Amino acid sequence: MKKRIIILLVLIVHLTNGLAAGKSVLSLFTDRDVYVSGETLLAKIYLPSDNLSRIVYLDMVNEQGIRISGVSLEIKKNQADGYLQLPDSLSSGSYLVRAYLKHTAHQLKVIREIKISNRFDGLEKMNQMNRVECSSVVQTRNTAKIEIANVSPVYSAGSQIHADVEINRDLLDSIDGDLFVSIAQMDPSFESVAFFEKSSSAESGLVEKKGIVISGTVLNRKTKKPTSGITVYFVVPDSIPGFQYYKTQSDGRFYFMLDKYCGSVDAFVECFREIPTEPLTIKLDELYAESGSLPRYNKQQITEELRNSILRNVDAVTFQKVFNQPKLRFHDVGKQAPDSYPYYGEVSCTVDPQLFVDLPDFTEVSRELLHGVKFRNYNNEPTMQVFNNPMRNYFDEMPLVLLDGIPIRDLNIIKGMGSTDIDRVDICLSERFYGNLRFPGVVAIYSTKKDYSRLTESDQLIHLKFETVQVPYSLEVSENLDSNIPDLRQVIYWNPTVTKNSKILVDCRASSVIGLYKLVVRGRLIDGTLISTEKQLEVK
Amino acid sequence: MDRKIALLILVIFSLSISVSVFSQIPLTKKWDTEKIRGERNLPHPSFEGFPYLNRTWVIGKIEFNDGEVSDSLDFRYSSFKDELVYFNREISAQIVVDKASLKGFSYVDSIGISHIFRRQYFDGFAKGNRYFEVLSDADIDLLVYRKVKLSAVSPYKSVAGILRDQAYTTEYQYYFYSPTNGYTLVRPTLSGLLSKFDHTSQRPIKKLLRKNRIRISDEDSFVLAWKCVDKVGFQLIF
Repeated sequence: MKKRIIILLVLIVHLTNGLAAGKSVLSLFTDRDVYVSGETLLAKIYLPSDNLSRIVYLDMVNEQGIRISGVSLEIKKNQADGYLQLPDSLSSGSYLVRAYLKHTAHQLKVIREIKISNRFDGLEKMNQMNRVECSSVVQTRNTAKIEIANVSPVYSAGSQIHADVEINRDLLDSIDGDLFVSIAQMDPSFESVAFFEKSSSAESGLVEKKGIVISGTVLNRKTKKPTSGITVYFVVPDSIPGFQYYKTQSDGRFYFMLDKYCGSVDAFVECFREIPTEPLTIKLDELYAESGSLPRYNKQQITEELRNSILRNVDAVTFQKVFNQPKLRFHDVGKQAPDSYPYYGEVSCTVDPQLFVDLPDFTEVSRELLHGVKFRNYNNEPTMQVFNNPMRNYFDEMPLVLLDGIPIRDLNIIKGMGSTDIDRVDICLSERFYGNLRFPGVVAIYSTKKDYSRLTESDQLIHLKFETVQVPYSLEVSENLDSNIPDLRQVIYWNPTVTKNSKILVDCRASSVIGLYKLVVRGRLIDGTLISTEKQLEVK
Repeated sequence: MDRKIALLILVIFSLSISVSVFSQIPLTKKWDTEKIRGERNLPHPSFEGFPYLNRTWVIGKIEFNDGEVSDSLDFRYSSFKDELVYFNREISAQIVVDKASLKGFSYVDSIGISHIFRRQYFDGFAKGNRYFEVLSDADIDLLVYRKVKLSAVSPYKSVAGILRDQAYTTEYQYYFYSPTNGYTLVRPTLSGLLSKFDHTSQRPIKKLLRKNRIRISDEDSFVLAWKCVDKVGFQLIF
């Protein structure tokens, strides 16, 4: 009997552990439900409390599952917030905003349906619209323990709004992390819900504990099989270039970590074939998740109320663009101190060829200016050797040659570079090491144009232009607006990280866009329950 | 019945373990850590004495400038060149780690004593970055620069039978350091310690050391004496 009880207990503990692990509180909220193309969507994401990732992805797909835009956001206190720019050319219809973690994207995504109306060919011209048929809706509990006080039901355009959010002491202790408060335009005839897209797929990726992970596979171009033992380089060109490398294993996979970058990044992924008969090709993985299974849609009638609201918003957005009223203000990122010297080491000497007489090609430049660098171009087969200072002889092997920080093997790329094309040349006259890489001397050439036009993209050299972690932002509040110019904001207050307190003051100014608005306070309890309180107000 | 349940549990456990074990492709070891930068170490010239602080390779950790720590590395400190030499097992190379890339390094010696070295800028004679061993870490640090130099000695025959007139000799330099006042050189003796305090404090310090039964005879007792004096709060003169 005792044995049975122990076995049963073990089983129960194991099962409950499994259930607890499966419990998810991933959730997504947007500032509004209906948008006009060219606008900016604001989003707030709550992540599971046991989350280990530092990055959450937010993207938008259309009804066919084609991704329109996407961003990666930094997670702080298991919460994240960001924005998505809705392209001006979007056609009117239903779109899905998705939030997910890369390593669990195959199993779980939280999705919110939004409507977008094209400015020139809007929803108002349609009679029906598609509505998602969702099964597992993200539950949010309305709580009376958060009270919104001092809010009038009606405000005149441009008037000041003061609201007090009072939170019950008992509730305050059980709130996990920050609260989120917003006042945005609403439409009672269309309210979207967030729902989960779950899958039993066992496929899982890397947990992005430190930052965004760029991954891919090196394949043999002929056999299409993964290639092992290939060193893949990742370079972010700069005055002091960023550099990473990865040696592939039998699966041909490679990974690069982008933990020190913010905003837009220009990068190069490159590999070299060691055996001439083995042509290689780099296949990069998608940064964002696949569309997965598409939800089912139902047809719904567009109400007259929604039609009018869309028309009003189209005008507001058009004039916002005419008057050049930005919605967001971007903050400077406290940039991490860059390395004091490049990855290839402290340079033995730096040469600026522009300080000397004009030299027509690199042979002349090296001969006249680059001491310790032997560049020869016999029979159109250029070679380069660097002097090994400590050993007092020349290296037999070719040095690491860099053009704007990007490793190159084909010296024909640089042979035509004269002094007018070169900004500076860094030379390391010793045997350098970076991790497990060995460089028999280094010659780093920095071009004047910095347009990478000398490097031709191929299967082995990929030029990437992508957005890393989104730059911090806040809602633009223009205090000194010209009285003749209307204030066309549809979101008049947005603070996704309000420190929990028994009393929170909400202070803002109503815009010139008339209509119904909603003051919402959202939060998450320690047990994962999402709570919210809202109050409606009208701007006339 | 019991056996059946036990078997069921075993199956569940093994399934859950197999899922967690094979859920990720094994990655290259330490793929996302900061890489050590340096250049090939060239052997020191052969003279009497020893140019390294450590007789053999020690296992320790290094801290990069950004605070990232790389653990379980084989290295030894070259007191002669004031450089950290690390052995890269993957490529079988002895590499001098770039001083500019490190914040410091530490290791535990064969008798279990921890040694912490910090890279600091020295503004005295021979300005530049130096590795100092931290003997006491407080508002005022007690540091030692474990210097080995080549000195002229009476001619002798080396192991190879070559006549030489130089040898590696230790010349450790002890400093009190505070970020505001900088460095002050100190001899690791009682008189050396007392000379760093004003006359009125010297008698009470002597009394304090006597009371604590500390007799400065070597580096360890000197460190102990300084910690005892520092605890009471006597004002050091820089």
